[in-house]
Amino acid sequence: MHDALLRATGIARHYGSFEALAPLDLEIRPGERIALTGPNGAGKTTLLTMLAGVHPPGSGAITWSDAARGHVGWVPQRPAVYPRLSVRENLMLFAGLEGAADPGGTADQLIARADLQEVAARRAGALSTGTLQRLNLAVALAGSPRLLLLDEPTGTLSPDQRMRLWQWLDGLVAADGMAIAFSTQSMEEAAARADRVLVLGRGRLLHDGPAGTLDDAAFLAMVEDA
Amino acid sequence: MSALRAGSLLMRKDLRVLVRSRALLAVLIGYPVVIAILLAIALSGGDRRPTVAFVNLDAASGRTVQVGDERLSIEDYATRLEDDVDLVRLDPAQAQDALADGRVSAVLTVPRGFIADLQSGLKPPVLQLATNPRSPIEAQAIERNLESGVFRLNQALASAYVAQVLNLVDLIQDGGTVGIFGRAGTLLGLAQSDRALRQVQAQLRADGRGGLADRLDPLRDYITGVGDNLELAKPAAQAIASPIRLDIREGAPGREPLSALGIAGALVVGIGLVGVLLAAALLSAEREDRVLSRLGRGLVGPGTIIAQKALLAAVACTAVGYVLLGVVALTTSVAVGRWLLWLPALLLAGLASGAFGLLVGALARETRTALLAGLMIALPLAVIALIPGNDIAYWASALAGFGPAARTFQGLLVDPEVASSTYAGMGILAVVALVYGVAARVALGRRMHS
Repeated sequence: MHDALLRATGIARHYGSFEALAPLDLEIRPGERIALTGPNGAGKTTLLTMLAGVHPPGSGAITWSDAARGHVGWVPQRPAVYPRLSVRENLMLFAGLEGAADPGGTADQLIARADLQEVAARRAGALSTGTLQRLNLAVALAGSPRLLLLDEPTGTLSPDQRMRLWQWLDGLVAADGMAIAFSTQSMEEAAARADRVLVLGRGRLLHDGPAGTLDDAAFLAMVEDA
Repeated sequence: MSALRAGSLLMRKDLRVLVRSRALLAVLIGYPVVIAILLAIALSGGDRRPTVAFVNLDAASGRTVQVGDERLSIEDYATRLEDDVDLVRLDPAQAQDALADGRVSAVLTVPRGFIADLQSGLKPPVLQLATNPRSPIEAQAIERNLESGVFRLNQALASAYVAQVLNLVDLIQDGGTVGIFGRAGTLLGLAQSDRALRQVQAQLRADGRGGLADRLDPLRDYITGVGDNLELAKPAAQAIASPIRLDIREGAPGREPLSALGIAGALVVGIGLVGVLLAAALLSAEREDRVLSRLGRGLVGPGTIIAQKALLAAVACTAVGYVLLGVVALTTSVAVGRWLLWLPALLLAGLASGAFGLLVGALARETRTALLAGLMIALPLAVIALIPGNDIAYWASALAGFGPAARTFQGLLVDPEVASSTYAGMGILAVVALVYGVAARVALGRRMHS
């Protein structure tokens, strides 16, 4: 692997006798935007949590490039922040845990990047869904990631919130050149926001190709056959 | 990122969250403290007067006994016992029913012939006490109360008897009318005997029978010797009546009595509940806030999380323990000392209960479940820990560290020298903390990575 940030080889996971993810190979390169899609229970979240290091793979191995090791950001589907801490306190805490030399300064930078200045002193538990998701994303940026993994980041958002989030995320990716891999239930979102689409069904990788090469009929046929 | 720095960051976060969660703080610390204070008051009420059924089978005799200047009846006897217990006068069947129903704690029976035995002085009269075997602790308390009452009555009777004996001594010395132990008559007395002998000797010598008069001298010497010895017997008899006297003086007013058991119980329940509930809530809240998936990606290991929260729970327990001890020292008659030695005892008790709570928190899915489960497990175990002298209760409550904590606290409160058992109790607390800490770490690790 010369330029891949991450390489997964034969990674798989079982929950008891249930095969959540069949052995799968995957490479993610710098600046790549990858969408993982497929029906419920396809194995999208399982794959992302293994790539993020939340859960170890049941079998297989994941290797990171030197640039990516320790610099993988994780955005869980439901916001994972402390509701009784303010936006700034949450960011300071996670920046500190990521080893930032100046957690306060890092938090202020993240607040500016996520456009959270107006709510910086507000408790996370009092934020609107869209703003809370922006905080959820900002926390993942505390470790200066080279690869950002997002589990259905827009799943709970209204159309306008979804649009604003993608505009902000596009800006971040363009500025930092980081790679992103996100899961989504929407083929439109996958085609519009990614340059590579992975389709999963019943824990198996059904498709791995450039965005826009898979029409609705082919997608449905693929998923139904799985 | 070192584990120490990560732990300190989480510690500051937890403190900040706790300060902002007033209702939770009230539940986690206020509730156990209130329970502890109520328990201390309840346990200190152990010296309340028990109700005892009084069955007088000697009532029909209507007899009384003269002791000195006093004439005693069974009712006088009962009245004296009422200093120690509340007596309810019942017939034998009623008393038996009342004991079985738990309306009275014991039945005290005066058998037939009691007064006759007391009067004769030939054999000691016997009172019969029946207690409820289902309430062994209360039965012991009543036995102690009635033993104390009987002892004081015996002492009063002994004093009266000695006074009678001393009266008799005076009669033997000076002569007079006898009326003691049912006997009556007139005594000449040593002094008059001596006087009579001297008159007889004088008469004999006047009649020229000096030899015969001299032969009466040893008899007069004997009378004088007996009189002198009887004089010596008076203080000895008084000493026998009350060989040891207790000088009771009232202490300074305004302080409530509180037993060591009450204080130890309050500390065990207070610290136990604070430790279990606080630790369980703190850990389950991490899960409820869904941050474990973030923390578990190498930011903070499960061991660090467990150690940090156990330490926070132990510090909170120590603070609560010192506050309770301070309240005891300021408002009661109990002298709390060994303030420094309380530090490891309270810290270890807090660590043990905190580690137990962490295991509950690691296994529960949400904070409410963790709190409820923690309370349901901890409260009965803490109460069991207060049963004195029961090894099964001790080891059952030791499951959460409460039994060893109770013994350690009582040892620090009452033992004149700090016994090895007190240090052993602290050792057991450390082992309990370690075992539950490791179990909680394993459970949390599975939660974070499964």
